[in-house]
Amino acid sequence: MKTFLAWLLWIWISLVIVGAFFYAPVAENFRVPGSSRIVFFHVPMAWSSFLGFIGAAVWSLRYLLRRDPRHDRAAAVAIQLGLLFGVLATVTGAVWARIEWGAWWNWDPRQTSILASLLFYAAYLALRQSVDDPEKRGRLAAAYAMLGLVVTPFLFWIVPRITFSLHPEPVVNASGKVEMDPRIQHVLYSSGLGFAALFFWVHNLECRIQALSERKSAP
Amino acid sequence: MFMDADSWVVAVNLIIWTGLFLYLLRLRKRLRHVEDDLEKEP
Repeated sequence: MKTFLAWLLWIWISLVIVGAFFYAPVAENFRVPGSSRIVFFHVPMAWSSFLGFIGAAVWSLRYLLRRDPRHDRAAAVAIQLGLLFGVLATVTGAVWARIEWGAWWNWDPRQTSILASLLFYAAYLALRQSVDDPEKRGRLAAAYAMLGLVVTPFLFWIVPRITFSLHPEPVVNASGKVEMDPRIQHVLYSSGLGFAALFFWVHNLECRIQALSERKSAP
Repeated sequence: MFMDADSWVVAVNLIIWTGLFLYLLRLRKRLRHVEDDLEKEP
């Protein structure tokens, strides 16, 4: 990322932080009204996690087509970051659940489905660790990550919409509409964009670090 | 100067975000140096 774009990202996310508290109104019908502000950070973290898992499937497909190790590396890093953002979304969600629902963990469909997807991708990392041959590891890991194209949308988008959930209505509700205050939407979508940019920046840095590490350890 | 709770939370968030951002900038710079050094190696 160019220095100019990096500083633009700093300004962008700083404005999101300020906007979350001084521009967007607090949502109604919450036990602790201010707790609704978590939506500006918790939801974009979950979106970034989803982005990582879907991105990994796309890079895996490219690896299977071209056998370029850079695509295999990019897929693995995307899943590592997807797990990181997923864990952050789960932890921030648990803190919010303690405030609003009175318990850290409630086996709510969204909580359960994100936990299932985290376990699914943790198994991906275990699979990579268990195979020594880079070519074989790349093929197996790519096939596994592509299963995520089915598993991830099902767990992230479908399960929470077909079952009863304690969660507030999703951004796009069951009738396909977005019924949020426009100011909340402005900050939420800006935050989503900022988190996505941060994801791609960290992804780029981590891929380069792993490339250097592999080059150093090569015979 | 007195600040309300929201201002404190915003200030702490901005400090954390700025710290993370500066760390990433520094990491990017160091990576570029290492990559350049490797390019120069025979």
